[in-house]
Amino acid sequence: MENLQLLYPEIVLSVLALLILLADVWLGGRRGRSLYGLAMVCAAVTMGFVGLCCSVPGTYQGVGTLWTVDPMSLFFKVLVLATAILVLALTLDYKNPRDAHQGSFSALVLFSVVGMMLLVSATDFLLIFLALELVSISSFILVGFERGDLKSSEGAVKYFLIGAFSSAIMLYGISLFYGATGTTSLLALRAPAGPDAAMFTLGCLMTLAGFGFKVSMAPFHFWVPDAYEGAPTPVTTFLSIAPKISALAVMLRVFTSLIPREAFEFTGLFTVLAILTMCIGNLTALFQTNVKRLLAYSSIAQAGYMLIGFVTGDAFGREGILLYSLAYLVMNLGAFTVAILVGNEGSYELEAFDGLASRNFGLALLMTFCLLSLAGIPPLAGFIGKFYLFAAAVKGGFYTLAIFGLLNSVVSVYYYTKIAYHMFFRPARTPEPVAVPVLYSGLTLTLVSIFIFLIGVYPEPFLGMAKLSAEMLPKAAPAALLGGGR
Amino acid sequence: MPILSLITFLPLAGSLAILFIPKEKAGAVRATAIAATGAAFLLSLLALAQFEPGGPQLDAVRMQFVERYSWIPTFDIHYYLGVDGLSLPLIVLTTLLSLLAAVYSMNITVRVKEFYFWFLALEVGMIGVFAALDFFLFYMFWELTLVPMYFLIGVWGGPKKEFAAIKFFLFTLFGSVFMLLGILALYFSSNPHTFDMLELMKASSGWSKDFQVLVFLAFYLGFAVKVPAFPFHTWLPLAHVEAPTGVSVILAGVLLKMGVYGLMRVCYQILPAGFDWFLPWLVVIAFINIVYGALCAMAQTDMKKMVAYSSVNHMGYCLLGLAAVSATGFNGAVLQMINHGLITGALFLLVGVIYDRAHTRDISAFGGLAAKLPVYAALMSLTCFASLGLPGLAGFISEFLCFLGAFHAWKLYTTLSVIGILVTAAFFLRMLQKVFLGPLNAKWADLPDMDGRELISVAPLAALTVLFGVWPKLLLDVMNPTVTYISKMFPDMFQAVRHL
Repeated sequence: MENLQLLYPEIVLSVLALLILLADVWLGGRRGRSLYGLAMVCAAVTMGFVGLCCSVPGTYQGVGTLWTVDPMSLFFKVLVLATAILVLALTLDYKNPRDAHQGSFSALVLFSVVGMMLLVSATDFLLIFLALELVSISSFILVGFERGDLKSSEGAVKYFLIGAFSSAIMLYGISLFYGATGTTSLLALRAPAGPDAAMFTLGCLMTLAGFGFKVSMAPFHFWVPDAYEGAPTPVTTFLSIAPKISALAVMLRVFTSLIPREAFEFTGLFTVLAILTMCIGNLTALFQTNVKRLLAYSSIAQAGYMLIGFVTGDAFGREGILLYSLAYLVMNLGAFTVAILVGNEGSYELEAFDGLASRNFGLALLMTFCLLSLAGIPPLAGFIGKFYLFAAAVKGGFYTLAIFGLLNSVVSVYYYTKIAYHMFFRPARTPEPVAVPVLYSGLTLTLVSIFIFLIGVYPEPFLGMAKLSAEMLPKAAPAALLGGGR
Repeated sequence: MPILSLITFLPLAGSLAILFIPKEKAGAVRATAIAATGAAFLLSLLALAQFEPGGPQLDAVRMQFVERYSWIPTFDIHYYLGVDGLSLPLIVLTTLLSLLAAVYSMNITVRVKEFYFWFLALEVGMIGVFAALDFFLFYMFWELTLVPMYFLIGVWGGPKKEFAAIKFFLFTLFGSVFMLLGILALYFSSNPHTFDMLELMKASSGWSKDFQVLVFLAFYLGFAVKVPAFPFHTWLPLAHVEAPTGVSVILAGVLLKMGVYGLMRVCYQILPAGFDWFLPWLVVIAFINIVYGALCAMAQTDMKKMVAYSSVNHMGYCLLGLAAVSATGFNGAVLQMINHGLITGALFLLVGVIYDRAHTRDISAFGGLAAKLPVYAALMSLTCFASLGLPGLAGFISEFLCFLGAFHAWKLYTTLSVIGILVTAAFFLRMLQKVFLGPLNAKWADLPDMDGRELISVAPLAALTVLFGVWPKLLLDVMNPTVTYISKMFPDMFQAVRHL
């Protein structure tokens, strides 16, 4: 129990989430909107605790038995919490926040955040699996939250089936891993030799499938478009950001730090997966006519860019992933916020965006900036992220990968500008401006635009932050240990 | 006074100011835009006045008005601006054409606010490309021109505007991502790692030929699309024709120059071995551009499309001048950039003038307009003659220098390229004849001549065309020391064109 303090933020958030579930009894129904606000406060309080962990590293950072609290996990915890807060704010502006179950909704969001916070800290396959399941199960329910909507239910069922399937594969992989090493712990791992080595590799590959599902890495991406389209849009926003980056974080920890490179050589595998994910995401997005589906495929492609950082596997690539996660959070959230505001009028088809520029120029401009940032056009946040990742690829000599990434960015411009085309080139169907509630959406959009330009034009502090946060505990295993099993 | 930053970012200040003007006040928007472009132009003239071209014996790249601040220390990226005799004339050309195009574009009546917002943002990118001396900054400015241009073509363009806009965007981006790859490759192979273009010029001797050739090709893709060099020119006729007049002027006058500038500044100065290797191809491409561009122009019945293809032809002269790798050829290429900007800018404006009145650009739809529109006819004839290279007008000097420089090294291709001049003369004269001579087509009996706005935007260009035609020394004095130095930067290389 001596390092229980490492888990304070998670404990606090779990308790608060349970309290919200309880508060639903009194505050539910018509007054339920306050529950979203309450949940935002809970997440903010937890963020404060995470901040404490950052500022007092001696006490609140370190290696536990199943988990570790290090700058990298703290970085991702902050990102996940920030996403949760902003998504809850967006929920308040979403067209039909149902007059019931606000407490369960907010609590589910918080529970899945707890899962992600555990996930990014986990150093044991047992905890990784449990955390992933906590995230998954909460998300299944959140996707199906609009019970009256068939698409929502369809998305939830697909998400659940594929999710359960990939969990099973992952679990089997973990059991193989256990068989090969005799432990589920990833700390001080000894690479097995002989026939066990094959089992070990197979185990690693199968766990990768479990992560791939969450990251929406091809070929485990099939659930994405349907789940994203069916889910209530704030949930889509949440799903497209938080689970993705936290699963990336745990992959980063497992495959670039904990499992010795000699035991599981994955450069070629990740190169193929990155290229596949980028290409599938981008090429399929070209044909979408629904903005939510389009952004779903775009988020697959974005995951592909981030996988470039895995291929290089060095600190440079790792920092790239961190930086890109931050940029991705900001720009994707911005794009979805505008989508929610437009979608509140009833449709998420591309035609719903017709003439947005003449109805609300600022909103259209902001959407354009978010989309161009996703496409990686300077001087916006996404460019800096891509620049870092591609620089890592070039530095490592992975020119093919860099070329694929760059060409994919060109392809992506086509479908991102398709939305711009509808917003700017098509006549509006109604002259009335789109309603932008100032308090939540307005504030979110302001925040998003500030960050998109700040990261794009003055990235130095963010680069510094990524550098600091790329540090992982425990530090890389000493060389003697790596060859131990051979 | 950080004069280059002021020139670069004054238009940005203008475009941000425009965002805060209510869209009903079109007059205020126009006034702001013209004030911003005008101020940038005046400042660039001030810079030109203070610029010291240096003597004929320049022995180092001497950048002036240098501003260098640490920007992103992690990658050793600097905010680094500076100009020499190569880039300063291009900056002045940019600010001049932007001002004139902004004046001419006062005829745009729909979504005025958005138009000038994008227009001014575009100007920032264009000036920045010529002023930046740090690759990261250069790339940012380079890409900054894409998005505004996409909207300018796509919203205010002709019938096929959407297709033209996205084709322009994708083509250019396709080229420039390879440029980014090249920039990264240079960064990681320099020691210490740097994006500083001047440092990289010094480092070039340490790179192997194979490496230089590969990186050269990456950059060449980026620049060739912009120039546009055959076979990457297919976006140009479409974009130029569909774009609104003011934007066509910018496209032809400035954006194409970014490509040639890049070839000189990066491909030649940083990757000489790659440039050396590519020379035989470059001259072939120049030849194709000249002849094929001219023949395509000949085949057009649409005046604007004809002018657009004539740009392909004229950019071929620039490439021919570059392929000479001599002071004469380089001077010709740079002078041709400026002259083409002035002449083709004026041509697009004049085509716009007739299109605004007649709503057609079909050459054979007119006839006998000279009697009806004397001022218009005079200006149009002047610019057409300048464009086809009539002695006494600006185009002649630069084309002559390009040919003179290249003939020494590439006798066959230079001789064959003369066909291009003949064809150019043919299609311009045919156009003049069909539009202005012969019996007046009764349909156009009541066309009014040019009005004040149109005269203000065209007359300065026409005057400069005559001025630089009779007194090119004015321009050459500014650029010659730098360009001559650049041409002699690598005395041990380019043996193929030096000792014949």
